[in-house]
Amino acid sequence: MRDFTYVLADDVASAGSLVHNDAVARAVQTPDDVAYVAGGTTQYDLMRDGVWSPGTLVDISRLPLADIEVSDDLLVVGAAVTMADLARHPSVVDLDVLRDSLLLAASPQLRTMATVGGNVLQRTRCRYFRDPTVTQCNKRVPGSGCAAVEGTARTHAVLGVDAGCIAVHASDLAVALVALDARVRTHGPHGGRTISVTQLHVRADEDPARDNTLVAGELITHLEIPLPDARSGYLKVRDRASYEFALTSAAVVARVEDGVLAHVAIGLGGVGSVPWRATRAEEVLRGQRASLALFEEAAAAELADAFTVPGTAFKPELARRTLVRQLRDVTEVTA
Amino acid sequence: MTATTQAPTTAAPVIGAGVTRVDGPLKVTGAVPYADDLAPRDALVGVLVGATIASGEISLVDASDALAAPGVVAVLSHHDAPRVVRPDEASADERAPMPPFQDATVRFHGDYVAMVVAQTREEAVHAASLLRVSYDVAEPVVDLNDPRALRETDDPAGADSVRGDLERGVAAADVVIEADYVTGDNTNNPLGLFSACAEWDGDALHMWATTQWPFNTADCLAEAWGIPREDVRVECPYLGGGFGSGLRPWPYIHAAAMAARVVGQPVRVVLSRPQMFTGVGHRPETVQHVRLGARRDGTLTAVEHTATIPVATDDDNPENIVSGTRQGYAVEHLRADVDQVRLHISPPGSMRAPGEAQGNFALETALDELAVELGIDPVELRMRNEAVTNPDQDDLPWSSKALDQCLRRGAELIGWDDRDPAPRSMREGDQLIGYGMAAVSFFYFQQPCTVRVVVRRDGSAAVHCAAMDIGTGTYTIVTQVAAERLGLDLSEVEVVLGDSSLPASPPAGGSGLAMAISNATALAVSGVLGDLGLDGAPGRDVLARAVGDRDEVRAEATATPPDPAELGMSPSGAFGAKFAKVRVDADLGLVRVERLVSVIDCGQVLNERTARSQVVGGTVGGIGHALLEHTVTDLHAGPQTGRVTNAHLADYLVAVNADVPDLEVEFVGGPDRLNTVGVKGVGEVGLCGVAAAIGNAVFHATGRRIRRLPITPDLLL
Amino acid sequence: MSRLSVDVTVNGEQHSVEVDTRRSLLDLLREDLALTGTQKGCDQGACGACTVHLDGQRRLSCLTMAVQADGREVTTIEGIGTPDDLHPVQQAFLDCDAFQCGACTAGQVMSAAALLDEEGWSTADDVRELMSGNLCRCGAYPRIVDAVLSARTAREA
Repeated sequence: MRDFTYVLADDVASAGSLVHNDAVARAVQTPDDVAYVAGGTTQYDLMRDGVWSPGTLVDISRLPLADIEVSDDLLVVGAAVTMADLARHPSVVDLDVLRDSLLLAASPQLRTMATVGGNVLQRTRCRYFRDPTVTQCNKRVPGSGCAAVEGTARTHAVLGVDAGCIAVHASDLAVALVALDARVRTHGPHGGRTISVTQLHVRADEDPARDNTLVAGELITHLEIPLPDARSGYLKVRDRASYEFALTSAAVVARVEDGVLAHVAIGLGGVGSVPWRATRAEEVLRGQRASLALFEEAAAAELADAFTVPGTAFKPELARRTLVRQLRDVTEVTA
Repeated sequence: MTATTQAPTTAAPVIGAGVTRVDGPLKVTGAVPYADDLAPRDALVGVLVGATIASGEISLVDASDALAAPGVVAVLSHHDAPRVVRPDEASADERAPMPPFQDATVRFHGDYVAMVVAQTREEAVHAASLLRVSYDVAEPVVDLNDPRALRETDDPAGADSVRGDLERGVAAADVVIEADYVTGDNTNNPLGLFSACAEWDGDALHMWATTQWPFNTADCLAEAWGIPREDVRVECPYLGGGFGSGLRPWPYIHAAAMAARVVGQPVRVVLSRPQMFTGVGHRPETVQHVRLGARRDGTLTAVEHTATIPVATDDDNPENIVSGTRQGYAVEHLRADVDQVRLHISPPGSMRAPGEAQGNFALETALDELAVELGIDPVELRMRNEAVTNPDQDDLPWSSKALDQCLRRGAELIGWDDRDPAPRSMREGDQLIGYGMAAVSFFYFQQPCTVRVVVRRDGSAAVHCAAMDIGTGTYTIVTQVAAERLGLDLSEVEVVLGDSSLPASPPAGGSGLAMAISNATALAVSGVLGDLGLDGAPGRDVLARAVGDRDEVRAEATATPPDPAELGMSPSGAFGAKFAKVRVDADLGLVRVERLVSVIDCGQVLNERTARSQVVGGTVGGIGHALLEHTVTDLHAGPQTGRVTNAHLADYLVAVNADVPDLEVEFVGGPDRLNTVGVKGVGEVGLCGVAAAIGNAVFHATGRRIRRLPITPDLLL
Repeated sequence: MSRLSVDVTVNGEQHSVEVDTRRSLLDLLREDLALTGTQKGCDQGACGACTVHLDGQRRLSCLTMAVQADGREVTTIEGIGTPDDLHPVQQAFLDCDAFQCGACTAGQVMSAAALLDEEGWSTADDVRELMSGNLCRCGAYPRIVDAVLSARTAREA
């Protein structure tokens, strides 16, 4: 890790300008030499692994962004709220998909440290990305290739990827957020804006070098999470029973009225280069009579164009089964 | 063993009792000194740099930028590192690992090419990233199935055996089954990062280094540097787990000594977790073939078990995959054979039941398949073929064996007879339920051990031995044995271990140390009591009077492995039976262990608490072996060939708390007849058999036979 | 080199330490304050051996930048009990033989001590899940679960 300057940010605006001004000075679009750090579980980890090496770290962990407010079925969560604190908030305790996406992630210690803003921006766990001695990584070194495609890829993505990069977005929370139609509020060099979480991340098959659509200096200040009038659930499938990223996961938010799917929203995890909104499956399901056969059809549609390499060949099937199981459990349809 | 002294009786025997660990208070308060905690605080910090290719020659290590970085004191590489002799490990029947920086050759990905020495760790790590290492790259061979690899067939593991005439046995069979079994590479991954700190005083070397065998580490350092053995001292009073990875003097230990020599100051090296995957051994993957022949009544007529395992290009690793097969069952016709294939991989070594863990999976899975084929209960099949004498040692009677009790009791505990034996017959909702079992006949391993017992003027005592307590409870059991035989309270016995300047000990490995050190302690106590003109367990006052006005009275004794032929019996290792109940998600392929019963015959249990913890711990390791652990090496041709792709504890999956149910352990059998204390090793029998029991349970649950470890969800879709 | 002064209270004692900005809280504890009870198991946030309490909550000290601990209160294994005066969780670990080599024990004990103050759990399965952030390679898990449950019982008694 290169030597760096540490700055504790006092307020959002000055924090943002520190990062933004540096980026402008260097005429680049992605924050690099000056960067934010909050919980540190991604940023500091990557620095220690030598994956990236900012010259200045702006600590935003003490900014006044740690409140959770509820109004008109909208949960507004400060970006510096920790995963642990969000999971035990009264509005979240009964929102199964959100609660479980938080509590099935990482470990109690990490959930105490990691902020929700940082969580949705966490970088891939691809071990080729995370080892700077690996020379082929289009995410780290654009144009260098992808070592994972021919390498060990059991934990990699099959959706939103191509041979240029198969890195998975490993957040559980973000998968629940896309199924909840959540948005992020940001503060950036050009003021504030609101971005749907489905628009926040950049697919690897579009640009592996770019993780998200934020501009240099733009800071997530809040998550806006609509509280659904529906049942929901999050199923995480992984080798060990805890403390592991998903092989596959499914966040399902659904309301069945008279046997018909009046509302359905699906996020898939462990399979996408971004938190995957399963729009094809939703199209198959929406307004239709809920049945196991329909769920099978929807899941198959979503995974139909999966891009697999030998290591990920099992994933479309596992993802299909994961989604069918979770649709069944949330809708309580038995046949 | 040279004496057959009967254990003296005391009013309150402490051997066998569930005594609380004597070092427990240190461990629960963080006061326990591991090797790195003892290193001088002003020592410089060394950071090792690994090769980023798997085979080739280093053409240049350009350290100019690194040397210019803040805090950097020195950079060592093959250009300028001290030359040392590669030691032999005579007592381990293998060459010691190659010391680092001795030539330009890169033998595996991660092989050390340089070390940066700096004032602080942060400075050293950063400077290491500034090193520019150039290579002349050669094409590595890293795949066990690569036909280009050099295959060593001439009994390289010391494991090959032929009994009778295999084909005659096959011809006599009514049923023959055969299949291939594959077990993945595992990494020991003790939680404590291995460390070494070296300090030179003239030509005398003092090291605080992680090891399971301080005595041998000191031997090897003396040989490497060509200095008198008495001028080398290796201290390691505690280590944060080893599981076999601390048995050998690995290159990082030499690197610390070299750096300290060069800079003339103490130098500390702490391996990173990724370096723990390539620098301190690992359990080699295996490809095994098992062929079993049996008559309709279940009698085995032929057993063939062959294995291919990898070994590093320039190293030895006598890993006996077939030991359990050779001695496990009464069969007249047997062929067991292990080949080794030389690869450009980091040197494999011992890991928690080396060889036996992998071999048992293949044999005990094959027996389950045979039982299915014959329509015989798997427990019954094993009982029917019980080796009443040791078929691998001239059919000598065992010094003790209670395998049949293990099997019966295990079946009873798990409710074996209440299950529906038909595959895929038991289900609750989405969960398929299955039961499986396996038997274990663990090998016997002993080396000489010397212990010194000191009785002080106040009647208290000390026990000295170079041996390690790797967490198994050696401090505690030695305290118990000495206290009982001297008639002292546990608090009146001080046990000093983990220092190569103490009397010679064998490794803490091979399930052999408890037997060796407890017997040596008993012998040394007899010796000191004899010197004092006492017998029985005299107690503190009598001891104090006998010592009189001397400062102390000391005696040493060596426990030596017996000659089986002379004894007329075959020394037994531990036996065990494992019974598993699993749940398998019918759609998702997730396997969760619901119950695991271990019934163990380990002779005299020295301490019920620590012995139980060893079996519990081994079982947890077995669950990882069965379902989770897999060190994956990049096999595809390219710049990353030979790199371990999951050298991280988030990617190399060891069992976590939530993977483990409450585990049931019972001990059966009595004291072994071989030695005065009656103990057999219990260190590794806990892990063995777990993978096969789980795999067999997965078959019972699903009807799917998985002949590969780990058994992951993707194999069950 | 960038150095900053960090004011941190460790086990009730105030320290002002000048550190390399790159330094982790774990290395601050082990190297600068010689509190070697907190162990380094991976230095990558994947094992839990380095668990300490920061302002009363369990955290990984290896992924906490030392500078981020400025003005905060840290409690380590040395701060909750001594061999002669054990914390109830330490006593329970000893009584239940909930460890072997001890490398994970400081982290397990600190994690368990924090867990006793956390809400929303009751069963052995809850403990298994909520202690899963602390790897134990010796495999003492069932006994760790026993220890946590018995420490809770002792505290409620």
